[in-house]
Amino acid sequence: MHNVAITSKEVTLLEVLDRVLNKGVVVSGDIVISVADVDLIYLGLKVLLSSVETMEQLRGAPITGPMQEAT
Amino acid sequence: MQMIEKQLVYLYCVTNKEPKLTETKDSVDNLYFICHRGLCAVASKVEESEFDEEGLKKNMADLEWVKANVSTHERIIEGVMASADVIPFKFGTLFNTDNSLKAMLEEYGEEFKAILGKLGDKEEWGVKIYCDTEKLKGSVINGESEILQIENEINSSPPGRAFFLEKKKAELIAQSANAKINEYSQESFELLKELSFEARINKLLPKEVTEREDDMVLNSAFLIGKDEVGDFINMIDTLKMHYENKGFSIDCTGPWPPYNFCGLSKQKVRNA
Repeated sequence: MHNVAITSKEVTLLEVLDRVLNKGVVVSGDIVISVADVDLIYLGLKVLLSSVETMEQLRGAPITGPMQEAT
Repeated sequence: MQMIEKQLVYLYCVTNKEPKLTETKDSVDNLYFICHRGLCAVASKVEESEFDEEGLKKNMADLEWVKANVSTHERIIEGVMASADVIPFKFGTLFNTDNSLKAMLEEYGEEFKAILGKLGDKEEWGVKIYCDTEKLKGSVINGESEILQIENEINSSPPGRAFFLEKKKAELIAQSANAKINEYSQESFELLKELSFEARINKLLPKEVTEREDDMVLNSAFLIGKDEVGDFINMIDTLKMHYENKGFSIDCTGPWPPYNFCGLSKQKVRNA
C-alpha cells in the first residue's frame, strides 16, 4: 500500500532550494561552479523579497508633501 | 547580425538505463542523453554567457532567475525519476563538451553503478520539525515539579525576592523547554531512522530563510524502501499526534530524488 496522503507537491521553494543547491553529487566538471555560499543566496533571496514588499508598501502609501509622484 | 554563442553542457542526473521522457517536456528543455558503459547522463545545452562564472554570479543574485532554473533542475530530475533510478547532481554542474562529460562518466562509472545499486527500489523523504517555543514553554510549566514549587514560593514572597525568583523560573522553563526540544527531535529521528536504510541530519535553517514564526529544530532526510513508505508515513502521523499539541509541527515531503544519499567517497573527489 502506498499512502501518499502527506506527499505535498506544493512544496515550498525553500524545500527545493535546500536540496538542489545544498545537496546532490558534486564532481569536478570542466567548469567548476561554486554555489557553496548558499546562505548568501538565501539571504539574497530574503533581501530581494523584502525589497519587493517595501516597494509595494511604498506604492500603497499616499505620498504627501511637495514630492512629485514618479512617472 | 547575431553571433552564434558558445554553449555548455549542463548535467542533471545519471541513470543506469535510458529513461522514458514522455512525462517531461523534453522538447522545451532540449534534453538529450550521453550514454557510456551502461550509464546514461541526462543533459541539456545551455548558453555559456548565462552559466559561466561571471554569468552565474550575476544570475544567482536574481531571485526570478534562481527560482526558474532551480525549479527546472528539480522538474527534469523528477521526470527522469518516474521511470528510472537517478543520481541527482548539484545545481550548476557544467561541462565544455559532451566528450568531457563522457570522460567524467568513465572516471566515476564504477562508483555511480555502486550508488545506483544501493538506491534501487528506495525513495528519499524529508522531515523537518519546527517548534513554537512559547507554546512548548506553556506546556512545560505544568509538567515540572521544580517549576511549580518556585511558583508557590513566588506567591508567598515579598516583591524583591519574588522578582528574583521570577527570573529563576524563566531560566528553568527555558532550560526545560530546550531539553524537551532535544529529546523530542532526537526521539522522532531515531524512530524514523529505524524504518529507513539511511538517515541524515542536515543544517538547521534560520528563520530569515524559512520565513516561519516557529524555529526549525530538526532538518533530516531518510532513504526508505518503497515498500516501507506506508509504515514511515504512519510513524509520521503517530509523531504528529504525540507532539503537535506541545507546540511542534512536522513537515514531511517526498518522494525526492536522492540528493542526500549519493555521496561519492571523499578520496575520489580529492583525487579528481
